[in-house]
Amino acid sequence: MRVKFAVAGVLALSLLATACGSSGDDESPETTPKAQGKVELSFWSWAPNIEKIVAKWNASHPDVHVTFSQQANGDDLATKILTASKAGNAPDVFQAEYQVLPTYISNNAVADIAKEAGDLKSRFADGVWSQVTLGGDAVYAIPQDSGPMMYYYRADLFEKYGLKVPTTWDEFAQQAEILHKKDPKKYLTNFSAADAGWFTGLAQQAGASWWSPSGDTWKVAVNDEATRKVAGFWSGLVQKDLIDKQPSYTPKWNKALADGTLLSWPSAVWGPGVLAANAPKTAGKWKIAPLPQWAAGENKTGSWGGSATAVSAGSKNKAAAAAFAAWLNTDSEATTDLVKESAVYPAATSAQTGPALQSAPEFFSNQPDFYTVAGQIAGTAQGFTFGPNVNVTYSAYKDAFAKAIASGGAFDGALDQMQTSTVDDMKKNGFKVS
Amino acid sequence: MTVAASRRRRGRTAAVPYAFLTPAIVLFVVFCIVPIGYSVYMSLRKAQVKGLGLRPGDRTEVFAGTRNYANALKDPELIHSVLRVLGYGLIVVPMMLGLALLFALLLDGTRARLVRSARIAIFLPYAIPTVIASLMWGFLYLPSVSPIVDLLGGADLFAPSTVLYSIANVAVWGGTGFNMMVIYTSLRAIPSDLYEAARIDGASELRIAFRIKIPLIVPSLVMTAVFAIISTLQVVSEPMALKPLSNSIISTWSPLMKVYTDAFERGDLYSAAATSVLLAVATLVLSFGFLRLVGDRAFASEGGS
Amino acid sequence: MTTTLTRERPHVRAAGRPRVRRRGGGAVPTTILLLGAFYMLLPVLWVVVASTKNLGELFDSSAFTPSGHLFENLSRLSSYRDGVYWHWVANSALYAGGGALLSAAVSGISGYALAKFRFAGKTALFNVLLCGVLMPQIMLAIPQYLLLSKLGLADTYASVLLPQIISPYGIYLARIYAGAAIPDSVLEAARMDGAREFQIVRRVVLPMMAPGLVTVFLFQFVAIWNNFLLPFIMLGDDTKFPVTVGLFTMMKQGANQPAQYTLITTGVLLAILPMIALFLTLQRYWRVDLGSGAVKG
Repeated sequence: MRVKFAVAGVLALSLLATACGSSGDDESPETTPKAQGKVELSFWSWAPNIEKIVAKWNASHPDVHVTFSQQANGDDLATKILTASKAGNAPDVFQAEYQVLPTYISNNAVADIAKEAGDLKSRFADGVWSQVTLGGDAVYAIPQDSGPMMYYYRADLFEKYGLKVPTTWDEFAQQAEILHKKDPKKYLTNFSAADAGWFTGLAQQAGASWWSPSGDTWKVAVNDEATRKVAGFWSGLVQKDLIDKQPSYTPKWNKALADGTLLSWPSAVWGPGVLAANAPKTAGKWKIAPLPQWAAGENKTGSWGGSATAVSAGSKNKAAAAAFAAWLNTDSEATTDLVKESAVYPAATSAQTGPALQSAPEFFSNQPDFYTVAGQIAGTAQGFTFGPNVNVTYSAYKDAFAKAIASGGAFDGALDQMQTSTVDDMKKNGFKVS
Repeated sequence: MTVAASRRRRGRTAAVPYAFLTPAIVLFVVFCIVPIGYSVYMSLRKAQVKGLGLRPGDRTEVFAGTRNYANALKDPELIHSVLRVLGYGLIVVPMMLGLALLFALLLDGTRARLVRSARIAIFLPYAIPTVIASLMWGFLYLPSVSPIVDLLGGADLFAPSTVLYSIANVAVWGGTGFNMMVIYTSLRAIPSDLYEAARIDGASELRIAFRIKIPLIVPSLVMTAVFAIISTLQVVSEPMALKPLSNSIISTWSPLMKVYTDAFERGDLYSAAATSVLLAVATLVLSFGFLRLVGDRAFASEGGS
Repeated sequence: MTTTLTRERPHVRAAGRPRVRRRGGGAVPTTILLLGAFYMLLPVLWVVVASTKNLGELFDSSAFTPSGHLFENLSRLSSYRDGVYWHWVANSALYAGGGALLSAAVSGISGYALAKFRFAGKTALFNVLLCGVLMPQIMLAIPQYLLLSKLGLADTYASVLLPQIISPYGIYLARIYAGAAIPDSVLEAARMDGAREFQIVRRVVLPMMAPGLVTVFLFQFVAIWNNFLLPFIMLGDDTKFPVTVGLFTMMKQGANQPAQYTLITTGVLLAILPMIALFLTLQRYWRVDLGSGAVKG
């Protein structure tokens, strides 16, 4: 009832909504008339501390001033960008996760900056570059970081419980069982129904191919055999209660990482930042290894996250915007700062061998070869094509897997639900789907 | 005053209420009617993609007729969410109003030093945004940190069987104070001579409450109940804020959460508009009785000049 | 009860009425009230305690064991992104203060017109206005955003202020209050003296309705201060955020950077302090009479 007091009072309080718009052009009176030379750009990102790098750009580029606005996270930014570009309010430059790029392109939210990007292609690995071109001639963003997946484990606790670092998923399941028998309160890891990107990365490792274009038709196979294998594997662990079922990125999960309830985490190369923030007291106790493999002797991984810097289709200063995006992700000082301040694994090849990655993250002082190992793992990332409605697929993942966990842990139906939701949505929008 | 002058005066007076109401009407039209109209328009449109949808201009907006409405009506998730929220309302509304009435009667009937402080304390949650309230309760539901979980014997407050009550608790906590204030205000408006006699005759406070006070504030109770029911059916903040913490809260938990998910997570503003129009119509129908009740009775004795 | 009786005593009125109260409260009512107050204060108490903890203690120590890091948290919060938190607080004060002031003015004049004039379409108009309060905010906020964008007003202070001026609920309260607090005879006397309508509003109506308008102001102030959805949808520039949206953004980031949780709890504490102050200082205006009109009849 309190809620009902005013229109505003009611739902106002907490719809975790979205969608906004800031147009640098509208907001900055000095841009237009006496603009000569002075360009104003707006930039949205959720990377921590990135405003410090923006400040350096502003100091060294008096002609192009970038105004930074901190955003909540990747999902929120994506919805805001989609709504803002519908309304014509998108910022000039914004951070875009690779999987959302096709959705942005399909919604006409990003500009093709092939002309402005020039010969930047040579600065990135082919696999990374194809994520921002979708294999065509257009360039929709400048890659910022990538997220090859790897296996983080508590070396000290593995020793304490006599566990071996799993090299295959079979071994992983065995270790989960051994651990849980020794201490029913501990888990090898958790299966998170909240992280669709995490599950997608694991499916990539198994060779999943969810979307593939042929001619003007999309082939959609979210429930393909590879993905079934992955879902079936985790379903077994969940049903036998051998791993934890709580969603990741909650206070409870933070605590579980910090107090050793969870002993390992299949995550991505940006993991040290999360671990250091979650469990500062466990510094020096974690180690990394390649993800467990589906067949002994294989060497494959998937990607979780990773993003690029895009220029909005509505930007009035595309050239300056593209120049900023290029500088942010290829300039040696900027990329060094990205590693240092925002804890990302830079996409530019020169940055990967650059000074910032010469020594391990502080949190991994016990593993001096952290970035050497990470570099080797990064080379084994499997390619993957994202479709134009990943948001729908991911949304279906969260609901279907959460429901499946709540009702026992059989994942087959959940996977089919993802497939049905994805295909239905595409058909409804007029896509040709086979 | 001459006849002509008086007529001129009356002519001017006739325009006065409209002039006074102009700001409200303009704002209402701009920020309520027009947006609703826009929602209705959106609900009749859909996106149409050609080819792979990966080139600018591949996506256009076309007329969809009533297709979005048909889809919404046969969507099992929407029906589930409506049923779920009805069940939730059966817990929240009686609990919230029951507590509010109890507290209001106690405050009105007791003369203790702490009455004032208790009133402020009970009213306080009204001042706390639901986003923040849900964050606070989210922490208090955390096992091993929270004494509440210990008190409940270590129960998992986010399990499928308990999560409904966990959400309801946040709503009851947040809503009781305001309702108490409404009821308390009407209790205070009852002239005391109406029950002082009963008191002198030795009637118990309980008896006075049930025989005299409650019947007199029935209109207030009806109003609070109607508003409470509507806002309960429109619940979205609490489950949305607690959702990341639990596998048992899905993105279509309540009807308005479904609208939000469709609009923002799935990027389908058109379906979201259709669903919200349906919900708005349902709310209007539901409130029709209430409008008659209030509109006819509340202002019946009002004078006019 | 009779009409005259209530007429003379406005329902939404200040201070208590004189009446004989029972001496001393029984043990049972007192206990129930104490339990109720405890339940309501529990999460607030948690915030107070939590804001004294550092990150390790927040997750490791018992929820109600205080620590000594309050000032450290305060200074970290103040220096977070060059003090953006205080910027948010100032924005909230502007949105809530300005919006509530305008809202009280619009509601007051509308309520007066609805209560004290007869005119064609009055009932219909009032009913339509009341329907507005029933609309789910999400249904309004998205089209409001799209429409304001077309006017170039999205992501401005005005985009958050303007939609929150109109408050059907405020109009409803103002109408009840005006109906009860302003005797027709006073208006007629003023008109007889030749006063013009706007003069009557300023000299007669406004003073008589003042306590009611304070109430409308307070409720609208809280509603706007606590509003989340509208500013979240309207604003992209984080220097224009109100404190709710700012804290929410920090909360979302907290999932990745739990170090922010201690800043958030401290921020929450600071954000509810002004509300507590409003409650304590303006207690007598916190009264809402939803059904008094009906009691009359």
